[in-house]
Parts: sequence; C-alpha cells; structure tokens
Amino acid sequence: MDVSASVALATPRPRRGVALLPLGLALLAAAMLAGVLLGPARVTASGLFAALLDALGLAELPVEHARDAAVLGVVRAPRVLLGALIGSGLGAAGAAMQGLFRNPLADPGLIGVSAGAALAAVAAIVFGGSLFGATAGLVGLWMLPLAAFAGGLGATLLMARLGTVGGVTSVATLLLAGVAVNALAGALTGLLIFMADDRQVRDITFWTLGSLAGARWAQVPVVLLLVGIPSLMLCALARPFNALLLGEAEAFHLGTRVESVKRFAIVLAAIAVAAGVAFTGLIGFVGLVVPHLVRLGFGSDHRLVLPGAALLGGALLVLADLLARSLAAPAELPVGVVTALLGAPFFLWLLRRRAAGGAG
Amino acid sequence: MIAAEGLTIRAGRRRLLCGVTLQLLPGEVLAVVGPNGAGKSTLLRALSGELRPDAGAVMFEGQDLASWSPAALARRRAVVSQHVALAFPMVAAEVVALGRLPWHGTPAAAQDEAAVAEALSAAGVLRLAGQPHGTLSGGERQRVQVARALAQLHGAPGPAALLLDEPTASLDVKHGAALLALLRRLARQGLAVLVVLHDLNEAAFVADRVAVLADSRLVMFGTPQEVLRPALLGDVYGIPFRATGGVLAPAFAG
Amino acid sequence: MITRRMVLPAVAVAPLALARRARGATPTRIVSVGGAVTEAVFALGAGSHVVAVDLTSRFPAPVRDLPQIGYMRALAPEGLISLHPDLLLLSADSGPPQTIEVLRAAGAPLRIIPEEPSGPGAARKILAVAEALHLDGRPVADAVLADWVALDAPIAALPPVRALFTLSAARGAPLVAGRKTQADAMLRACGAANVAQGFEGYRPLSAEAAAQLAPEAVVMMSHALEETGGIDALLAIPALAVTPVARTRRVLAADGSYVLGFGPRAAHARRDLALLLHPGAALPPLPARSWT
Repeated sequence: MDVSASVALATPRPRRGVALLPLGLALLAAAMLAGVLLGPARVTASGLFAALLDALGLAELPVEHARDAAVLGVVRAPRVLLGALIGSGLGAAGAAMQGLFRNPLADPGLIGVSAGAALAAVAAIVFGGSLFGATAGLVGLWMLPLAAFAGGLGATLLMARLGTVGGVTSVATLLLAGVAVNALAGALTGLLIFMADDRQVRDITFWTLGSLAGARWAQVPVVLLLVGIPSLMLCALARPFNALLLGEAEAFHLGTRVESVKRFAIVLAAIAVAAGVAFTGLIGFVGLVVPHLVRLGFGSDHRLVLPGAALLGGALLVLADLLARSLAAPAELPVGVVTALLGAPFFLWLLRRRAAGGAG
Repeated sequence: MIAAEGLTIRAGRRRLLCGVTLQLLPGEVLAVVGPNGAGKSTLLRALSGELRPDAGAVMFEGQDLASWSPAALARRRAVVSQHVALAFPMVAAEVVALGRLPWHGTPAAAQDEAAVAEALSAAGVLRLAGQPHGTLSGGERQRVQVARALAQLHGAPGPAALLLDEPTASLDVKHGAALLALLRRLARQGLAVLVVLHDLNEAAFVADRVAVLADSRLVMFGTPQEVLRPALLGDVYGIPFRATGGVLAPAFAG
Repeated sequence: MITRRMVLPAVAVAPLALARRARGATPTRIVSVGGAVTEAVFALGAGSHVVAVDLTSRFPAPVRDLPQIGYMRALAPEGLISLHPDLLLLSADSGPPQTIEVLRAAGAPLRIIPEEPSGPGAARKILAVAEALHLDGRPVADAVLADWVALDAPIAALPPVRALFTLSAARGAPLVAGRKTQADAMLRACGAANVAQGFEGYRPLSAEAAAQLAPEAVVMMSHALEETGGIDALLAIPALAVTPVARTRRVLAADGSYVLGFGPRAAHARRDLALLLHPGAALPPLPARSWT
C-alpha cells in the first residue's frame, strides 16, 4: 500500500477532497442556473437575452419581454438566491451539530431551533388574525418571519442556558435540555393548534412543510446577513470541529477552546437555521442527510464536510424547489416534501452501497 | 517541566486529589501507580490542564498552567487518553494528522507531512496509515494515538511533555513492551513522559521515578528501587506482596 | 449577475405587458381563486374566460375540468404566472401574503375580492368581481340582494332553533363552528341560534360542553356526514349522544361551499337551509336564477 499517499491524504488537505469544493461550487452554480432558467413559466431565449441586456444596463427592455424579465428577475432570481443561501445554512448547521454532538443523527432540530421557530410561527398565524389575509400590509409580511426567527433563536438560547452548569456546557445535559425544550414547544404548539380555526390549521400545516414561494428581493440582504455569514463562520470552525472528532477532552488537549467553540457553534447554527426557517417554514432532511452525503463521498475532515455540506445543501434546496414548482404546475408542492422525497432514497442507496463495500 | 504544588481537586464534596506535590522532569519517565480510585487519572487530567486545581497549583515550565493559552500548551504537551472513540470514520493517518492542529498558522505547519510520517513510523504504525480507524485492534488504536501525540509535539519550541493514561491496558505483552520501550526512547530524546500504569512490573521496567497514589494522596515518590518494595506496596494495596525473581506479585494464599 | 437594475424596470414595465388588454375589455385569461369568486365570474357570464381555479372552486360543474392551481392558502407565484393570466381574481382569504407580494412585485394583474359573510356582502363581492371584469355587475348583485332581503321578514318571524354547525366528526370530537365563522353567520341568517358562542373559529367539542349547549339540530357538511358513516354513526358519538339531537335526529346535511360561500347562490342557500331548520315554514319561493 502507498504510505506516502495516505500521509499526503491526511495532511495538510486530503487529496480526495481537493475535488469536492470545485465540484460543489459547480453543482451549486448549475443548480442555480437551472433554477433561474427552468420552471413552469416558460422563458424564451430572446426573453432571457433581453432581460440580461436590461439587467446589465445595455439596452432598454422591450415591452414584449417584460413578462420574461419579471419571471426571471422578480420571481425566480430571489427565490433561487434564497434557496441557495438557506440550503447552505441548513447543510452547514447540520454538519456543525453532528460534529458538535459527535452524533450522526444530530440535526439543527436537536438544539430546539425548529420547535421554537414553529411555536412562534404558529402563534403568529393564530394571533396574527387578519394580518395574514391577502391584504396584509408590511407588518403582516414581516411579522411571521420575525416571530419565527425570534422563537428559534430564543428556544436555542434557553436550551444552551439550561445545558450550561458552572460555565461548562455539557453535551449530555444539552441533549436532555433539548428534549425538554422541544417537548415544551411542541406542547405549546399543540395548544395553539387547538385554539386555531380550520384555515389556520391548514396554514400551519403548509408552514411546517416549507416553501420558497414567498421569496422576495427584500429578504435577500437579510438572509445574506443572517444565514450566509453565520454559515461562513461555521466553515471557519472546521479545525476545532476536527479536534472534536477525537472527543471533547482530546480536543482540549489539542489546544481547542472547547467551551467557546460549543457556544459559538450553537449560536451560529441557531441564527442560520432560524433565519432560514423564518422565510421558508420548516425544511427537513437537508440538515440531517447532506453532511452524511459529503462524508460518505469525501471523508470526515470538517474542512471539507462543512463547506461541502453548505454547497450541497444549497444545490439540493435549489433543485428541490425547481421540482416543487414544476411537478404539480400550476400548483406547487411543499419544498420540504421534495427534499425528503429526493434525498432519502439516494441516502439509503448510498448506505446500502457502503454496507455492501465493507465498513468505512 | 510540570510541577504540582499541594494540588487538590474536588468533585462536589468529595476530594479526588489532596495536596499532591510532585515534579515531572524532561528526559525522564514518571510512572503513576496505585489502586483503583486512588486518583491517578484525576492527577493526569489536572497536570494536562483539563481540570483546574481547587487548591494548590500546577506549573508548566515555571508558569501557572492556567495562564497558558490552550494552543501554546498543546504545542508543548500531548495527552493519550485511555479510550478514544471517533465521532465519524477516518483512516489512521488522518487521526495522526489531527495532532498537527495546534500548529495551524505557525511556520512549523510546513512540516506537517514530515511530522505525521515520522510519528507514524516512530509509533510503528506506518503500515496502518491508510487503514480505517474502525478496523484497527485496540492495541493498534493505542499506538495510533501515541503517533498522534508525537505528531503534536513534533517541533515543540522547548521541552515537551507526553502524558499517557494506562496506554498498555489493551495491549498484549509484546506490544505493551514495545510501547514502553518507545516511551523510554522518547525520554532519552529529552521528552518528559508521565504514564499512568496498572502493572507495577511495567512501572519498574519503564520508570525513572514512580509516584504511588492511594486514597487521593501521594504516598510515595522516588526511584523504583525506593518505592516498589513489597512491604510498602502491601500497605498501599491492602494485600501482601512478594518479589519473586525480580517480579512483584500479590502473595495469594495457596 | 442579477442587480437591482434588472428588477426595477421589470416591475415598472411588467403590468403593461401582463395586463395585455385594452381598457374596458373583459379579460380573457382569468385565474379565479375562491369558491364564491369563481361562482361570481360564472354568474356574470365570463366563465368561459376562466383558465384555472383553486381547490375551493367546485361550482358550477365546468370548473371541475379546469386546471388546478392548488389550495388557496398556498399559492404558487410562478405557477400562476405560467398560465399567462390577464386577471388574477383572489379571494381576500387567499395566501400566504408573501406570495401575493411576489405576484404584485412581478406585475401580475391582481384583484383582491373582499370576503364578507352576509347577503349584502355577497352582492358587494359580485360587484367587485364585475368591476375587475369590466362588466356591469348590478343586475346579478341586485337580484341576489333582492332574493336575500325577501327572506328577511319571513325568517325573522320563525322561532329560533338551537343549532350546531359541524365541520367534521372524524376523530370522535365534532369540530364545531363558533363565533366569527361563515357558518355562524349563515345559521343566524336562517333563523337558528348557533349554540356554540363561547369561542371563535372551529373547535372540537367535548361531550360535557355539548350536553350543556343542548342543540336541537346539527348542520353538517354532506361529505363529512358520509365519512362519519351516516346519521346513526354520528349520533353514536358521545358528544352528540348526550344532546337533544340524539332524540330529534335532526341532522341536516348541507353542501359546504353552497351554504358557506356567500356568493351568487347565497340567498338560495339561505332559503334551503332555513327550510331544513324549520321544516314546513312558509318561506316565499325565490325566482330561478341562471347561476343557481
């Protein structure tokens, strides 16, 4: 066997991983391009060309292409950008939580963010009342996302506080606190659903299935700030997460400030997921499985797993959204349903293949 | 190198360590022995900086251990724990490469590959480099951890310390002896080695000095000849000992 | 890259292109969302211009063959635009608001039709739809209102029936209409007293509460009654077995979109339901209308 190859593979950057980041970037770019170009509202090549010229300020938009430009620029572009950012956030946060909890079944739901966001969103739907009609004003447009974001972050901070004793955040206590916070939020959500009327219950159901249909340009800077930046910061924590692969004590022995890393990672993941969920509703599967897909293909080095999960998560959500708006057109499938339908069988296939090929 | 002064550690109301004073010197192997629950692992964790003393102090190179930044400390001190379970699969060389994490951002990071290769070969696991960690035996994993610790200390800017918690526990006689020989060799090269051991004969074989813990206290500290005497050990372990042909063993009835 | 430059001109110009119709001409590609809104379009004679409807649009029969845009609270912006509509008629109950905002930003030709559970509200709904269609809505609206008003005095003279409106009873506890529901408004308009006044919206009803409310009649969606397994199965549910209904066996099946729509058929639905609640009552016959 080739020893020097194995050594090179371990330091400073695994060789098989070199391909991952360009590959992931290319995949994300391709998914985004497809997301903008394809969909139930057909856009002609000349319409695309005209819209591009207009976007670049090179030519006035001819009136006959105004619809194409609106579909590309108003409906699809913010939707694809939001999907890429939010998918990246879910992927990176999922990888971070799995690394932090050293558990392949961990996902952002574990730190209470989904349950907290859902509770607040349901409260907004039930108590927001008339603000959610078709005539909702600015308050109605931002109330639900704001509530969901605050609820998700609040639940996580509450849980982190409960899980920290004497300045030390114990993962085991954190997990139990998470179970308690999730159960409490779930119970309160149930109480609100009991109070909700039939229409609100259906609103709640659709919210929990996720959708990018409400994506608007006004949301892009918010998501860039609250999802994009925390995701990048999580990727910058790759080395401490690598140290945690050995265990918390070993990570400390390797010079990691374990407590700071834990708290920092939990807050960053909570911000990224809560902000994403705030605009789309719950989107399952991406945070749980995308990191595994990266690991199965490229190993456990977080320098690859974190950015890889971000890129793949973004690509997956953009593609899932493309399918969500195309498959049932002119209606739309909930995107959370598509991510699960798309990813779960693929994941199972990978697992089976790995099992057949011997332990990894 | 590392000096404990009246080191006391409590867990709630229970005292895990009480007033321990000892020094670990560069170039020596210091073995820590004692009955189960005597506080051996606690001592190792306190000397590594993982536990803060409730009373007394631990000095590293004449400076309070707490004043060392984790990264600077990690470049001078490595720890091999009893059991390491990986969160996600890696090959052995990747595990060893994790030892280079504290060097990230320093000029010495340029020697990462050399450090990993050297450590793999010094710990005798070069042929395992490409093996998935999950397929290694307990002994092989232990040696991979030693290699990881050596990679971590490679290029240390001054005397370095290696602390090991019962590294021979899962090794057979041959591999155990090989590991102890490796520790001796490392000490000869100037490393300060502290090793928690269960087997008194291993301690006698490898150590320059032996520290005996009993009931949270340091009861003896000296050369193996001074410390590992049947009469003293009998008091510590509460059963009679005898030395037969240079081997220390409990004197069982019958 | 996509810049603001691309968006702003598109927003500014798009309405002209999307609403590709001369001022005053009836739109020819209508997407209608909301059962009563769709009924109004058909009542006004513009049904042949409807290209797609939502799930709640079930009447008149031809709408069932039209392309479906899905549930009205989960609208798909691109799906709607892909239909090339020159008019998007949305019930005020449509949503979510974010999606409607996207449609607005994309310059889709939106019209929001107010929802108001009353006879005059039905007339106003028809007028709003007619205005969006550039049609004269007064003949239809006036007829609906006249039919509605003709029932006011005769129904007011009837003794109020203690009634309960049940959406479903699938899980054992009947889902019952409280205050501020279309069902509450319709029961009231039909000479019934909705006994469930302690809450707003729909709530599952416990057996104790039901015994306390003591309804004499239960109005239920006909398909839900079938799902429950008919009158006997419904009255076997503890929450209803303890009420006077178990004795009177007055379980009245009604078509949900008919009695709760408050569209062009509002007056006829009112008369039908009032007769169910007050069998044999002398209510004036309503003229047959083309839209009923």
